[in-house]
Amino acid sequence: MRGRVSRKTIFGFIGPAVIGLAVVGIAPLLYALWTSLHFFNLTKLRQVEFIGLKNYLTVLTDEVFWQAMGRTFLLLGTALPLQLAFGLIIALVLHQPGLTLLKTLTRLSLVLPMATTYAVVGLLGQVMFNQKFGVVNQLLGGADINWIGDPDNAFLMIIFWDVWQWTPFVALVLLAGLSMVPGEIEEAARLETSSRWTVLRHVQLPFLLPGLVAVLILRTADTLKLFDMVFTLTRGGPGSSTEFISLLIQRVGFRAFDQGLASAQAVILLIITIILAQIYIRVFYKEVN
Amino acid sequence: MKLKSLFASTAIAAMLATGALADSHGWSLKKAAEPYAGTTVDVVFLLRPGYEAIEAMLPAFEEETGIKINIIKHPYENALGEQVRDFVAGGDLDIALIDLVWIGNFAENEWILPLADVQAKFPDAVDPDLDIDDFFPLVLNAFGGWNDTIYGLPFDNYSGLLFYNRCMLEEAGLDGPPKTWADLKDVYGPALTKDGKYAFALQSKRNETQSADSFARMLWPFGGSFLNAEFKSNLLSEESQAGLKFRQDLMQYMPDGIVAYDHAETVNGFAQGDVAMITEWSAFYSTVVSPETSTVADCVEIAPEPMGPAGRKPALGGFSLAVASQADEAEQAAAYLFIQWATSKANAREYLERGGVPARQSVYQEDGLEEFKFVPALVESWQDGVPEFRPRFAEWPEITEIVQEWGTKIMLGEVTTEGGAEEIGTRMEAVLEAAGYYSGDKPLAQ
Amino acid sequence: MAAARRQGPMWGQFALLLVIMLVCVFPFYWMVTTSLKTQIVALEAPPVWVFEPTLANYREALFEDGVLRTLINSLVIAICTTGLALILGVPAAFALARFEFRGKKDLWFWFITNRMVSPIVLALPFFLIARNLGLLDKHITLILIYLTFNLPIVIWIVTDQFRGIPYDLDEAARLEGASQFTIMRKICLPLAMPGVAVSAIFSFIFSWNELMFGLILTRTEAKTAPAMAVSFMEGYNLPYGKIMATSTLIVIPVLIFALLASKQLVRGLTMGAVK
Repeated sequence: MRGRVSRKTIFGFIGPAVIGLAVVGIAPLLYALWTSLHFFNLTKLRQVEFIGLKNYLTVLTDEVFWQAMGRTFLLLGTALPLQLAFGLIIALVLHQPGLTLLKTLTRLSLVLPMATTYAVVGLLGQVMFNQKFGVVNQLLGGADINWIGDPDNAFLMIIFWDVWQWTPFVALVLLAGLSMVPGEIEEAARLETSSRWTVLRHVQLPFLLPGLVAVLILRTADTLKLFDMVFTLTRGGPGSSTEFISLLIQRVGFRAFDQGLASAQAVILLIITIILAQIYIRVFYKEVN
Repeated sequence: MKLKSLFASTAIAAMLATGALADSHGWSLKKAAEPYAGTTVDVVFLLRPGYEAIEAMLPAFEEETGIKINIIKHPYENALGEQVRDFVAGGDLDIALIDLVWIGNFAENEWILPLADVQAKFPDAVDPDLDIDDFFPLVLNAFGGWNDTIYGLPFDNYSGLLFYNRCMLEEAGLDGPPKTWADLKDVYGPALTKDGKYAFALQSKRNETQSADSFARMLWPFGGSFLNAEFKSNLLSEESQAGLKFRQDLMQYMPDGIVAYDHAETVNGFAQGDVAMITEWSAFYSTVVSPETSTVADCVEIAPEPMGPAGRKPALGGFSLAVASQADEAEQAAAYLFIQWATSKANAREYLERGGVPARQSVYQEDGLEEFKFVPALVESWQDGVPEFRPRFAEWPEITEIVQEWGTKIMLGEVTTEGGAEEIGTRMEAVLEAAGYYSGDKPLAQ
Repeated sequence: MAAARRQGPMWGQFALLLVIMLVCVFPFYWMVTTSLKTQIVALEAPPVWVFEPTLANYREALFEDGVLRTLINSLVIAICTTGLALILGVPAAFALARFEFRGKKDLWFWFITNRMVSPIVLALPFFLIARNLGLLDKHITLILIYLTFNLPIVIWIVTDQFRGIPYDLDEAARLEGASQFTIMRKICLPLAMPGVAVSAIFSFIFSWNELMFGLILTRTEAKTAPAMAVSFMEGYNLPYGKIMATSTLIVIPVLIFALLASKQLVRGLTMGAVK
């Protein structure tokens, strides 16, 4: 009985959202799909022609594309563990009793990086990490580190900002998970063992899992989308050292104007995103629920 | 009485400056603009001195003509994309702002109208004093011309110049600027690179700066070029390789991380006294001599770029303005009137004094230009240069991306000069092949 | 004894919390101070901490360069798109939480997937479509395209929130003959309000911060504040003071908003993300 309603009712509730999202989300996507099957250069619109899967073939065999993809996952693979580790430490500290006022203030300050405009983070990075007049080198004791102009350092700098901006998110999610552990269970566990690790592993972790899955999904998606901060900070340079996948597509589509190729890249990126999201949601989410 | 005559003469001068005074032919801007009063003309401007100069002069034009100029400001790196999207979509822009490397693209897409067509369409708008031969021929052809047709009039004009810090050179016992690139590296390099200061900085950031200011600048003086006569890559030729290898060698006398230096960083380095010499566009003159932005203002001197084995081949760059074909009749006429006014002989002096660099030969023959130290070097550079310093064909936006990517990789040592040149060559030829240059579908114009 | 044992970790905690706060807040401190510097002071090496502040950068940014107008644009767009996302998303979330129908899981998944699509995929097609419809440089265009990430957020969070409300309540209402819409509006929505608020906060912040669509789909009339901040980055001259002043103007409102709503925001993480 429960939940059985007429089709009309269902459509009345869900139809507007579906139609709305289809118009703004699917229509452009179909257009991109069409473009990806053509030679479609914005500055050569008279030469548009159907070329089948040629663009896809180019993308799949293009080492530049896969390097950018690899770089993107390298960023995810380095930044996410750091975010999880720092986030967990912060959450555990905030979860402990005492120092209430200071903890409230800390919680408030954690909100700040998350809410900051991503493009502004990149602009800030330019100012703070400048080799000469940047404050970072000054704080490192007058170091002369070339952050923006050195491929490896530039990558580290991107990791730094990603960790700075998103560790608070992880921390707050995990803190929320910790606060869902029923007090009496936690107390009982603490009486039984003095090992903090055991408590974390056996009592708290189950409550953290859903949050961890959400973090995993969102951070993966956002890393694949990462554009604004890097665009304003390094524009993908020096060389290609910080050219992540979204920057590459932007460059091909809007600077070399090869929209056909860029669309093919975008479609492949979308497929990868959906596969990952499927895996995450179907596997982890089910397990969690 | 005296006051009155003074007033009268300034008024006449002001009118002259805006071209308001009817000349002997009976043509006046006011009259020519009459049918188009109230028209709005949309144009993209950059955030650079030449644009600020004309913006400051604009009220006179708008008042005289009743034409409204709607300026849309973009940083250089966004300006091409913004305009291409607008033209593709049949948008609002009535004037195209054309970097010399965009002209082939804009012309072949017929986004811009040939100057002669516009003039034929609106004969009453043509100023009899236009005097098109007064533009430096090289500049007019390179910035405004494509395939023997003139589309745009040169507006914001640059030549590469050598800026040097006389005080630092004197301190190191060097008399005058280097005459050749070899001198710059072998004599000036070691003498000036010490105590955290550097002899030279070559802006090489991975954008148009890498292709234009860094890569191409080192190709040409050594006899190299992007393409040979058959339009195949010439980057593996002995001369091209000599140029690219020279650039690698020279890097020991440049600050670290030069691949992240854009114009701003390079000019700052020079203006703060950390770098003794830079090769930069003429437009930076005002920045390096202004005490507000420069600590070495009194030491700044200008020379033409050094020579290589193949002679002096200074970097050439600049922008012309052309009438957009997508504009309606009134907008086209109004756009033409604005372009003609902004690049006119009558306004060249004021434009120069406000920080612009006109391409009019006549203005540089006038007296009282001593304060603009860059003038002699600029005039010399414009006598003779390579219009295809960067190829100006429609494929440049694609090719420059390739050059930018692999050019920086060469500088970072991630590939050798040969390896990088080969990569650029292969990819560049693929683009040209697809464009139909090798099958004879397209004339070999650059 | 016990007190002494607790003293140690307390101090450690204290120090750790301070460090966390400092790391979070310092970049903002640096942003604001740089925005008060003249170009010469901003370029001083090593950077100076004490200097004579000037408001010239703000004056220039706000009144000469038109940052004020872009801020208003951003505000209008963010509010409208958030409102629209709620109007469309809340009923959909209710249906996903309460009704049984075929393909429900797939539909939910499709909604959520939109949150993950890189905007670069949609940017150009949307540009060409908007151009054909004469919608370039209009607020409505951004309001609509921002739905691609706001609607999924609303649906994700609010669906979870609705699921947490016991069925008995609407069962009782239905026996009294209330329609589904009335049940949603009168019974479930008030209970789901925290989730709705949270999703509204999130979608407001995401919309306010968005750059790429703003850059590509607007020019002057509807230009957003982040697009404005980026447009000072001409390679010719980097006016760091002015860039930081603009950045401050963009970031401060959203930070204040986030701080005021921080309770809901943190609670939202428990709902949308955790469950």
